[in-house]
Amino acid sequence: MKVVGARIPRYDGVAHVTGRTTYVDDVRVPGTLWAKALRSPHHHAGITRLDTSRAESMPGVHAVITWKDVPLLALGHLAALGIPADEPLLARDEVRYKGEPIALVAAESEQLAAAAVDAIEIGFDERPALFDLRQAFDPDAPQIHPWGNWYPFFGTVESSLDAGADAHGVVERPPQHIRMDRRQIRKGDIDWAFANADTIVQGVYRPAAIEHAPLETQVCQVVPEPDGRLTIYSCTQALYFSLGVVAAHLKVPLNRLKLVGGTTGGGFGGKVDTATETMGSLLALKSGRPVKWRWTREEEFLCSSTRAPWHMEIATAVTKDGWILGQKMLTLHDSGAYARFSPYGLTKHSFHHTGAYSIPNLQFDGYVVFTNRVPTTAMRGFGVTSVSFAVETHMSRIADLLGLDPIEIRLKNANRIGDTSPNGVAYMDPSTVSTLQTIAEAIGQELPAEYRTMTNEPRAGDLLPEHLVAQIGSTEGH
Amino acid sequence: MRLTVNGVTHEIESGPLTPLLDVLREELGVTGTKAGCHQGGCGACTVLVDGEPKRSCLLPAAYAEDAEITTAEGIGTREGLAPIQQAFIHHYAAQCGFCTSGMMLAAQAYIDRGGSDDPEAIQEALGGHVCRCTGYSKIIDAVAAVARGDSFDLTTTAVGKYTTMATGGEA
Repeated sequence: MKVVGARIPRYDGVAHVTGRTTYVDDVRVPGTLWAKALRSPHHHAGITRLDTSRAESMPGVHAVITWKDVPLLALGHLAALGIPADEPLLARDEVRYKGEPIALVAAESEQLAAAAVDAIEIGFDERPALFDLRQAFDPDAPQIHPWGNWYPFFGTVESSLDAGADAHGVVERPPQHIRMDRRQIRKGDIDWAFANADTIVQGVYRPAAIEHAPLETQVCQVVPEPDGRLTIYSCTQALYFSLGVVAAHLKVPLNRLKLVGGTTGGGFGGKVDTATETMGSLLALKSGRPVKWRWTREEEFLCSSTRAPWHMEIATAVTKDGWILGQKMLTLHDSGAYARFSPYGLTKHSFHHTGAYSIPNLQFDGYVVFTNRVPTTAMRGFGVTSVSFAVETHMSRIADLLGLDPIEIRLKNANRIGDTSPNGVAYMDPSTVSTLQTIAEAIGQELPAEYRTMTNEPRAGDLLPEHLVAQIGSTEGH
Repeated sequence: MRLTVNGVTHEIESGPLTPLLDVLREELGVTGTKAGCHQGGCGACTVLVDGEPKRSCLLPAAYAEDAEITTAEGIGTREGLAPIQQAFIHHYAAQCGFCTSGMMLAAQAYIDRGGSDDPEAIQEALGGHVCRCTGYSKIIDAVAAVARGDSFDLTTTAVGKYTTMATGGEA
């Protein structure tokens, strides 16, 4: 035990306080060009015309790239799970969120690159846009995504990866044999729970989008090496994701790319998606020059991914003495314009949707809904934080409505060893009881003896009423 | 135009209205000064101009002519870190480090004008400096420690029963 209880100096502490930590923006490569992006000014529009010739002919402009320059235009973040791609690296026919990149310029200075972006001629055909995920879920809402307004690939997808994909890898219609368009959980007997409840407590919970707002905006520096390889300085939180994503879009083997990373000026999940490296690499290859692409603060706020907005409807069947017999839940997870990691976030959400509490009878349906907002992504426990907000707020409302103490009702229904999660996994080491007792102590609340003496150990006696017996699982073999 | 940065005087080629931030980073390669927003909103680019904290992204370089400009690279000496630098390490006030230069220089100005260890006064002095990692409390702890005159022995940062090899203690 050298580390637990010790105060270990940060290995990077001295570099941080002397200004010597080298972030991507601090890398100095002679001859570096500046990149700027032409981004969609519309939330949803068809692209009717795109002419980069004027920008290309400007002195000092060394490369302009559009979708035509991308060897593999669309790459799914979840391709390894057999999920087809929906997001082109650069928009081709249609833009689905304000700020979506359409073309990039590499030029001698940042100002010149911006002027060249302004010289790109483009036409749009504006289309209806949706910003609220509940509205997007309405059957008569305008369709904003080629897959429909929600993600259709949960459960079994039996068709091949490239089903329906055109030559550029864009899927315009879903593969066949789709079984599930939602994450669905059924546990126990939900009808019994609602028939035997004294009260049904309902609530709707809608946490909003949150911008990560790291102090360092998205940035990359790409250097084309004489041997044809690329050196990519990246601020990513996920260096090996970026390695794979860039190689896939460029259709090159991994050994053509050298990624340099590990120094991130704040990420919080917002630097998991590969935001800049692929486009920076394409510009470096086309111009034959080192390229830096650093987003402005405005771009960071308007165009970078956010934590998702959620819409959660909960109906809970409770008895007047505070037992939770069952719960129905509908979750909508706002993916923004493209899927990215949202299906993974919703899956986590579904497994955790009862929070820290044991509920034997469940009916859960969760959908990843598309809107014309920026695509959403990871942020510190994404998928689970939304549940924590909804469940804890709802638990306190249940306590209020029943006239029970909010800590005591939580202790009564707390996960115990052997209780099972919504997806049927027996908990080995839940800490709900001890955590709640610590909270009570911290706020000076004296608990009655029956709650003060509770433990995390398996349920028994009064704490194992008939309705909880069937959900107890086996922890053997874990 | 000439600028004196961390005691060294440079002949500057950039125009007089070039933001001081760009002169420091792009012409002089003094990259400890960070570009967080380019609009005076985050504080990451703060430097000391004759001891006063200034947002270098908004400051025309000519404003700092004939003044002493101090950046994170110049706050300590070659022989040793300044107390504010030691305090930021000791109190874990730097996490990703991107706000640290500006935050530390604003704190140094606060200490230099005789600031106390009162947390509210420190918050006021560091107002407008954004940190997204620490939640600010560790930064305030660090500044308060310097204001109190605490000493920091960075080789024995460990507190409690166990030390580490990294701190030079017993394994």
